[in-house]
Amino acid sequence: MTLADTLRAIVGETHVLVRPAELIVYESDGLPGYHRRPSLAVFPADADEALRVVRALAAEGVSFVPRGAGTGLSGGALADGTVLLGLQRMRKILEIDPVRRVARVEPGVVNVSLTKAAAPFSLHYAPDPSSQTACTLGGNLAENAGGPHCLKYGVTLNHVVGAVVALPDGEVVTLGDPHGTGDAAGYDLLGAFVGSEGCFGVALELTVKLTPNPERVVTLLADFTSINDAAETVSAIIAAGVLPAALEMMDQATIGAVESSIYAAGYPTDAAAILLVEVDGAAAGLDDDVQAVDRLCRAHGARDVRIATEPAARAKLWQGRKKAFGAMGRLAPHLVVQDAVVPRTKLTALLAQIAEIGGRHRVRVCNVFHAGDGNLHPNIAYDAGDADESARVHLAMKEIMQACIDAGGTITGEHGVGLDKLAYMDSLFTADTLDAMCRLRDVFDPERRANPGKVVPVRFCREQRPHKSAG
Amino acid sequence: MHHPTSTADLTALIRDAAARAQPLRLVARGTWLNGGAPVSTTAEPVHLDAFSGIIEYEPGDLTITVGAATTLAELEAVTAAHHQWCPLAPWGGDAGSVGATVATATAGPFAHALGLPRDLVLGLEYVDGTGKVLRPGGKVVKNVAGFDLTRLLTGSWGTLGAITRVSLRLRAHPATVETWAVAIDEAHAGDIVRGLRRSATPPDACEALDATLAVQLGLGAQSQLLVRLAGNAAFVAAARADLHSRGAAVAADASLWMRLREAPRAAVARAAMSPGVRALNDRVKRTFDPANILNPGIMG
Repeated sequence: MTLADTLRAIVGETHVLVRPAELIVYESDGLPGYHRRPSLAVFPADADEALRVVRALAAEGVSFVPRGAGTGLSGGALADGTVLLGLQRMRKILEIDPVRRVARVEPGVVNVSLTKAAAPFSLHYAPDPSSQTACTLGGNLAENAGGPHCLKYGVTLNHVVGAVVALPDGEVVTLGDPHGTGDAAGYDLLGAFVGSEGCFGVALELTVKLTPNPERVVTLLADFTSINDAAETVSAIIAAGVLPAALEMMDQATIGAVESSIYAAGYPTDAAAILLVEVDGAAAGLDDDVQAVDRLCRAHGARDVRIATEPAARAKLWQGRKKAFGAMGRLAPHLVVQDAVVPRTKLTALLAQIAEIGGRHRVRVCNVFHAGDGNLHPNIAYDAGDADESARVHLAMKEIMQACIDAGGTITGEHGVGLDKLAYMDSLFTADTLDAMCRLRDVFDPERRANPGKVVPVRFCREQRPHKSAG
Repeated sequence: MHHPTSTADLTALIRDAAARAQPLRLVARGTWLNGGAPVSTTAEPVHLDAFSGIIEYEPGDLTITVGAATTLAELEAVTAAHHQWCPLAPWGGDAGSVGATVATATAGPFAHALGLPRDLVLGLEYVDGTGKVLRPGGKVVKNVAGFDLTRLLTGSWGTLGAITRVSLRLRAHPATVETWAVAIDEAHAGDIVRGLRRSATPPDACEALDATLAVQLGLGAQSQLLVRLAGNAAFVAAARADLHSRGAAVAADASLWMRLREAPRAAVARAAMSPGVRALNDRVKRTFDPANILNPGIMG
């Protein structure tokens, strides 16, 4: 029996794809520019089927790549001639416990579906990547995904309390404390698993925290004629002790792209930059925070501050931000998306450096980012068919990333390393640290079959020692 | 007794101990909580107090990098000068070190509202059991580059490496802070705490004290709820009104929080591990401390 036949016997005829024409869909993720074709794609319906698939792959010694909705922005969910294990059929919300404020879900549940399901209890799932209407919670776990509201509420790591995981060898372990007993038990393996980009195994079930909906939410849009003024306002708001739920910035190039698209949100197209600030929480005291933000924006040169309190008006302000990457798709056929983080106080200097680098290489950088966290997304729309332009884009990006590292930052705040940022890993970490990361992966996957070749460049991984023996 | 003063010293000493299979007991300020199990009696103490002091602090970033043996008291003093603080504030008080707090993942009264050690640590420098100096994570507030050795080390009780540097997230001081004590019926303490935490104006700390502890803290002979309200003035006013509607609240001194943190506590409870999780733990230990020399036995 071939591997495909074995897998068909587990998941059914129609849920194993082998023909190139069918597999072409899975050649890329949310980041255009990388194409890797899997040898086969298999889509289990539930945890039992998924586990049997993992065990069948283990028995054959076959490598595999777990994948949720394929919205990732690092090329992480691409399978290069190996098996693609698609989890999007596993989309059952197994339990919502409004008393403990947790939900138990399958990995293929779409992020926003959980928030919708929790709404009757006035709860929501807090991490909100811009792709939240499509991305899956399993993918969020693998990437340690963020989102605009992570400034106040934290990233995926801070919201996952437990996971049932199939290790690549087919063993099933429960990591974390899904039942909330509160007892320490060994190392924080859940903490290590979150953000492991599919290299440590497959989450079959997740237990995540649900967050109470705030009593009131106010969204402010401040527009600036100077990008420096906008960046300095960010630091001023944080320094004043106000912790907004979100603090986002978009530059003129991004505003232009959004406003000429179907996602137009009514942003002022002549502004050098806008800040989108959301303040939420208890009704008591909220107006004081809103006024403080308003005052700080104006004191730092904002031309105008619009305040939206009604859900429809707020949603419109947010639409342009959440769909900004999509809107950039209109500018050119390809888009490089970066995800560097710099210390907040370096934002002004970095934005100037990015503009200088972009200008020197004649590429158009659009900045749209989580300013409150210092999490930059300098994106460049370009035509990959134009070899000269592609080369300039590549050079510009390399310089931008090095500038962020030199400023004391990091190469990815929420998108993951995947394939796309492998080349920057040794600028950020020492060879010993990269090797230690490989050794941690070997704890979970000694055969290195889960998402091979991602996250840590293979040349930094020492030959593995025999591991399988005792215990 | 060993007294390394640089990571190079520490590397040499750990390599030597590994070659001799000589167990080591890591000590910074010597105030570690009871881990529930003693370290092997043959262990040689390694005093890490040289790894101390503020390494980098840019208040506008709300982050700080310190030597691991820096005391919590120094961290508090340095950040307070800029109207900031680190919500680690663990049980045991401020005499202990930042490194030990992270190594033991010891939380405190603010953890429920403001984050556990794993939520506050941004990056580390440490020397593992093979003598390698490792620097995972970073000093920015959001970072997913590479596999998360920072979380692995947090709560590993010094069994995977000797932490030498810690980068942490800070918070701005709230505009208004008030501490209140509410006499409660101990049987209903859990319900009252839950109710408060779920109110529209939740406190940033809320601890039930039994009668013995209440007496120790000079709060009388009845069980008490110690509550800290923090935020802007209007928020705290609403929170105060809500608290008063739940019981007779008496204004209390902010210093009670430190005295509560310093009060003796029971040994850390350890849950049983499933065989699969136990096997992973053993593999982690063998990977990063193959000679089993770092704080052996301390995690039970």
